[in-house]
Amino acid sequence: MKHNFFISWKFFLERKRQSFVATLGVIIGTAAFIVMSSMVNGFQKFFLKEALNINGHVKIMVEPTTDKTEILRKYYEKGVFKVLGYKPKEEKDNIRNYREIVRRYEKDKNVVGVAPHLVSNGVIIYGVKEKAATLVGIFPDKEERTLSLSEYLVHKRLEEMKRDRSSVILGIKLAHELGIYEVGKKITFVAPSGEVYRLKVIDFLNTGITEIDKSRVYLHIKKLQDILDRAGEVNEIVIKLKDYNLSEYYAEKLSAETGYKAESWQESFKNFLSIFKIQKIITSSVIFAILTVSGFGIFNIIMMTVLEKKRDIAILKAMGYEPFDLILIFTLQGLIIGVLGGIAGNVAGFFILEWLETIKIEVEGIIRAQGFILDRSVSYHLYGFIFAVLTSFLASFYPAYRASKFHPVEVFRSGG
Amino acid sequence: MEDEVILKGENIKKKIGDYEILKGVNIEVKKGEFLSIVGASGSGKSSLLYILGLLDKPTEGKVFLDGEEIDFNNEKRLSFLRNNKLGFIFQFHYLIPELSALENVMTPMLKKGIRFEEARERALEVLKRLGLGGKENRKPYQLSGGEQQRVAIARAIANEPAVILADEPTGNLDSLNTRRVMEIFKELNHEGKTIVMVTHEKELAEETDRIVEIKDGRVIKVS
Repeated sequence: MKHNFFISWKFFLERKRQSFVATLGVIIGTAAFIVMSSMVNGFQKFFLKEALNINGHVKIMVEPTTDKTEILRKYYEKGVFKVLGYKPKEEKDNIRNYREIVRRYEKDKNVVGVAPHLVSNGVIIYGVKEKAATLVGIFPDKEERTLSLSEYLVHKRLEEMKRDRSSVILGIKLAHELGIYEVGKKITFVAPSGEVYRLKVIDFLNTGITEIDKSRVYLHIKKLQDILDRAGEVNEIVIKLKDYNLSEYYAEKLSAETGYKAESWQESFKNFLSIFKIQKIITSSVIFAILTVSGFGIFNIIMMTVLEKKRDIAILKAMGYEPFDLILIFTLQGLIIGVLGGIAGNVAGFFILEWLETIKIEVEGIIRAQGFILDRSVSYHLYGFIFAVLTSFLASFYPAYRASKFHPVEVFRSGG
Repeated sequence: MEDEVILKGENIKKKIGDYEILKGVNIEVKKGEFLSIVGASGSGKSSLLYILGLLDKPTEGKVFLDGEEIDFNNEKRLSFLRNNKLGFIFQFHYLIPELSALENVMTPMLKKGIRFEEARERALEVLKRLGLGGKENRKPYQLSGGEQQRVAIARAIANEPAVILADEPTGNLDSLNTRRVMEIFKELNHEGKTIVMVTHEKELAEETDRIVEIKDGRVIKVS
C-alpha cells in the first residue's frame, strides 16, 4: 500500500498542470455543492420555521360541506329531468365545543399551546385606500403562549390589546400598502351589517413571509365577534406541538377525536412544499451535473495518464507489481485529487458563504430578507467532501482497472 | 554446485496468432554463468527471454526457476518471482519519468516490502557502485543515455535477483557506453550473478561464457 501511494503521490506531484486542472474541477464541484445546499436549504428552513411559528402545526376548522348529489334532484321516467342547483349545507362556521377542545389538549404533553381564532375576510380602509385582509380574532394571552406572536411584532405592544379592545395589529406590508408607517393611526372596517368601526393600529406584524405580512390583521377576538355579530364563536383552533414532526399524527388524532377537520402544516403548506421539492430536485440535478463534469475531468486525466504510461505500467509489472498494485496506484491518484479537491472545496465553500453573509440586498418574493438566508450546517461540508472523494474514486477506477490489464510484453516487443 | 541449473526451459513453444515463433526450445541456464542468446531479428530470441522472465506465457512447454515449475496462471506467484528472483534490463531504459534516479531504483525494493529508509540507502549504494554517485536526485531526462541505462541496471539488481535478464541492453548505446555496460555485466558475473543477455551482436556474445544461437524459433547451436 505504502509503495503504491508513494508512486501515486509522485504522479500527482510531477504532472502539475493535469493534477491542478482535475483538482480545480473537484474544488468547484464541492464548493458549488456546499454553497447551493446552504442557500436552498437556508431559504426553505427559514420559510418553514417562520411560517410554522406564526401559523402553528395543526389547525382545527369547520369543513365547508356541500352535497353534490343534489345537482340532480328529480328524475322522471318519461325522460324528463328536473335539474336543480346545489348549495352548501347550512352548517354554521363555528366550532361549538371549542372551550372543551382547548382545555383538553392544553394538557397534552406534546402540546405547547392551543389558540382559538375567529377568522374572517374583510376590507380595511385607510383614507382613500382599501385593502382586502384576513382578520384574525385572538385571545392575546393564548396567542402569545402558543405562537409567541410578540417575536414578530415591531413594537412588542401585544399587551395593549388587552386593555384597549379597539386596537388592531396590521401586517407590515399591508400597512405600507395602505400608507401607514406609524402606530396610532386609525383604520376603518365596515362590518357585514353595514356598521362602521374605527380601529387603532398599535403594532405591525413583520414575519418576513410576504403572504402573511400583506394580508393579516390581528384584533381581539371579543372585538371581532362583536363586529361580526358572532358572539362567543370560534372557527379555527391552532395547536403548536413540541415536535413538528408529530403534526400529521396529531392532525389525524384530532380529526377523529373532535369531529372537526384537523389539518397538519404539511397539508396547509402543500403548495409550498411541492415547490420546495421541485427546487430541491433542480438544485440536486445541477449539483449532480457539476459533480459529473468534474468526475469526467478526473476520468479523462487518469485515463490519459494510463495511456501515456503504458511503458511505466509495463516496467512496473516486470518489476513484480501485481495488477492490484496498479489499480491502487491509479485509484489512489484519483483519491488524492478527490481528497485535496474536497478539502480545498470545503474551504472555498466556507469563505464564499462568509462573503455571502456580508452582502446586504433586499430580497422580496415568498419571503423578505436583507440578504441571503443561509443554512450553515456542517453536514453540507461533510457531504460535499464525501461526494468529492466518492466521485473521484469512481472516476479513477475504470482507468485504473484498464491499467491493471495491460500486457507488458506488448510494450516491450513494440519497443514503445 | 557449479553445474546447478537455475533457469530451465523445456520444449517451449509460442504461437502468436497463426505464426509459431518458438518451435520447441530447450534451454538451461546454470547458476553463475553469463549466457547470451543470439539470433537475427525475428528469430524468437526476445520472445524466449520474455517467457524465461515470466512476462509471457508459453503456448506449450515448461519453465523451471530455481527448481520450481512455473504455473503461468498464478499471476500473484509470477509477480512475486519477478520481484524477488528476476531483474530486467531492456533496450530502452523504461525509467519512470516522474521519479528520480534514486526513486526508480527504490521501486522494486519498496514492492518487496523493504522499509523506505533502508531502500534508500541500498539504492544509493548501488547507484554509487555503478558510477552514478551524486546524480541520484536527477530525473531520467536529466541523465545521458548511458547513465539512464546504468540506472536501469541498478534497478534490475536492486533486489539481488537470482537471474538478470537483459534484452539488447546495449542496442541503444554508443560503443563507449556499450563497453561500460559490458564491463558492469562481467563484474556482476564475477560476483556470482547469473546473467542472460539477448543480443544480435556476435562480438558481444563472444565475451560471454556460453552462446545459444537461435534461428526460426529453434536452437541451432550451443557453444
